[in-house]
Amino acid sequence: MAIALDSILATIKDKQWALADIDWDAPGAEQVTDEQRPALKEFMSDLVWIENVGARGFAALATKAPDEDLKQIYTYFHAEEQRHANAELALMRRWGMIEEGEMPVPNKNIRLVIEWLDRYSDSLSLASLGTVIPSLETALDGALVKFLLDEVDDPVCHEVFRHINSDESRHLAVGFQVLDMLGASSMRQLIVETVGTFIKPSVMLGLLVYSPLLTRMVTNISAMGLSEEKLYNAIKRYENVGERSENTRRLPAYHLIKYHARIAINQTQPFQFVSESMGRAIDLFPIRVLGKTPTWSQELTYEPVSR
Amino acid sequence: MSEVLIIGAGFAGLGTAIRLLEQGIDDFTILERGDDVGGTWRDNSYPGAACDIPSLLYSYSFEQNPDWSKAYSGGPEILRYIQRMVDKHDLRRFIKFGVNVTGLTFDESNGIWTADTASGEIFTGRCAVMAAGPLANASWPDIRGLDSYTGHKIHSARWDHDYDMKGKHVAVIGTGASAVQIIPELVKTAARVKVFQRTPGWVLPRLDFQHPAWAQRIFGSNPAVQSLARQAWYWTHEAAAVGMVWDTPVTSLIQSIAKANLRRQISDPWTRRQLTPDFRAGCKRMLMTSDYYAALEKDNCKLITWPIATLSPNGIRTADGIEHDVDCIVFATGFDVCKAGTPFPIAGRDSRKLADEWSGGAYAYKSVNVAGYPNLFFTFGPNSGPGHNSALVYMEAQIDYIVQAIGIVRDKDLLTLDVRQDRQDQFNDDIQQRLGKTTWNSGCQSWYLTADGKNTTMFPGFATQFVRQLRAVELDDYSFTSGAAVAASVSTSA
Repeated sequence: MAIALDSILATIKDKQWALADIDWDAPGAEQVTDEQRPALKEFMSDLVWIENVGARGFAALATKAPDEDLKQIYTYFHAEEQRHANAELALMRRWGMIEEGEMPVPNKNIRLVIEWLDRYSDSLSLASLGTVIPSLETALDGALVKFLLDEVDDPVCHEVFRHINSDESRHLAVGFQVLDMLGASSMRQLIVETVGTFIKPSVMLGLLVYSPLLTRMVTNISAMGLSEEKLYNAIKRYENVGERSENTRRLPAYHLIKYHARIAINQTQPFQFVSESMGRAIDLFPIRVLGKTPTWSQELTYEPVSR
Repeated sequence: MSEVLIIGAGFAGLGTAIRLLEQGIDDFTILERGDDVGGTWRDNSYPGAACDIPSLLYSYSFEQNPDWSKAYSGGPEILRYIQRMVDKHDLRRFIKFGVNVTGLTFDESNGIWTADTASGEIFTGRCAVMAAGPLANASWPDIRGLDSYTGHKIHSARWDHDYDMKGKHVAVIGTGASAVQIIPELVKTAARVKVFQRTPGWVLPRLDFQHPAWAQRIFGSNPAVQSLARQAWYWTHEAAAVGMVWDTPVTSLIQSIAKANLRRQISDPWTRRQLTPDFRAGCKRMLMTSDYYAALEKDNCKLITWPIATLSPNGIRTADGIEHDVDCIVFATGFDVCKAGTPFPIAGRDSRKLADEWSGGAYAYKSVNVAGYPNLFFTFGPNSGPGHNSALVYMEAQIDYIVQAIGIVRDKDLLTLDVRQDRQDQFNDDIQQRLGKTTWNSGCQSWYLTADGKNTTMFPGFATQFVRQLRAVELDDYSFTSGAAVAASVSTSA
């Protein structure tokens, strides 16, 4: 069912929360065991950076929004993803995974995604970004975060993710609404836009960077014990919600993203082989040649108060 | 009773007074709610306050000042100019200070406007001139938690000169015309300045320079030379209309210059992105400053573009979840501009209320008169705002028109002079049609537009066109009743 963007914008403004609302020194940090800590640190670090690149994606979307309400919504979502990254960083700090002033280092895959977003995201269309982001959001919300909450008993972690999940539910609602809106265009326009998008060198490069990241995350999270079924359910949710809308079903890009996610989760060959090979190639990539990270990726903080 | 009631002793009210005196009309009263003259320039005394139009042009042609110290004078110098004008014409004898008008009512039977005031005192006049100014009432933003903040709050239009910024952590909310002047001053004294931006504006460098002593001497001895210099500025600004009033290739050129200015001064690409507007140049007021970007680059200054979620007791919480703890918040958030209402109730013929008629957006005939409100004149009325030239050029044209009309009322002994509804409607249909083709109506949200997107503020054309349409009062555009005729009919029936 269509939602009124002005009313969701009002809800977004009503539901703002801050790191200062959370008692970061409350008991429970000790529930994270030494055994969990190394893998959890890597997982949390990836999560923080995925939130941060998601934030950058919303910043790009805000410039493409066809109306003022949607523009404002995306501006808030940009900030909210940053807030999630900040809160997750604060959890890492609480669990002793980072020292004072320390920032986790993004892995090479994420570093490339940061670079790619910095260079190309503002030139992407609403259709391409608007189709990919709900897919990532469902995966994040449905698999990674649920998995984390199953594994970690710290009540502060649960409190933080109650807030985050509440935000994400609105991100998803708007994401699918936009998919529906995009699918209302004529089929000719949809095909022209899809072909136009996917023949762009920047988009092809993006797929080469994004695909190994997804594969690596699926591999890592499976190794940590997340069942294939849960992963599958997360991806299935994108399909289930997407299929409800006749307009969304008309979107070629939606079907491509859905298919891509499915073969990534199912580790289908030869996709898996290609993607893993790309991953190995990225491991060999001399990341130093990229120079400094863009300043938008340097603004994360675990401090609730800035003076 | 006075011949004329003037509401406001700012630029417009004082200019009207001078022109009335020049026409031999000295039976007028100026009602001023403050305790001194100067209006906007009395109220906006924030550090760095200056005009973004050259002083030679931001002054009356009939009151030229050869002593402007530089191209773009600061607020104190402009205020001194206003005060000198008042002293020269001995205008204080006409001004009632501390009189806050709360309503204007027209009595059709005897053609008199009555001004009610907050103190209960009543003033009457045959004509009334609204010179209250569009930027007279400071606007506090609609931000959650505004009252919860326990630190010091300052509005740019009501600066607190007793508050010492030295060593303080200061937030500035807003990045409009006032903010870009305040921020460079604050970074000089405050320990840290955080600038909270919602929408960036297009910034062009302000090429300010000192007026050399020899130029001041020549202006003093040869006013014609100063007039020539004024004309040079005037036509330079008129030329800019091609890109700032209408969306043309010149608009793109202005944007390119603004982008080059940004690139030259801001080193970080992400910050540049945050400072790049997503609307056409001219759609909102252009920002003319050469030191704003430089201030943002200072180590003690930070630009924050996250939406403000709420104010909290200690500062500002942004939507990225962080609370910014500050000692003082400067609200550079502009003014309550009456685009769909009036600053106080105005009742015309048959007790009609102007605020009701303007509820869908203000309108007038040539920005000066409104049908149904005889003998009432507006300075800076609907659709008289310039986007590219000096407001005083527009104001001077309105004043001369008003003084002409008041002269007609007096000389012909008119009871009422009321613009014809059909002429007004025709005028506004034309204005709104022309506004549709301007940059202001090209899709951005600005204070020029009502909530419904109607432009009731700006004039869609060159200053020259605005001035020309106000050159002469055409009696054919008005209906009027003669005071003598009424007197005769009263005596006949008696």
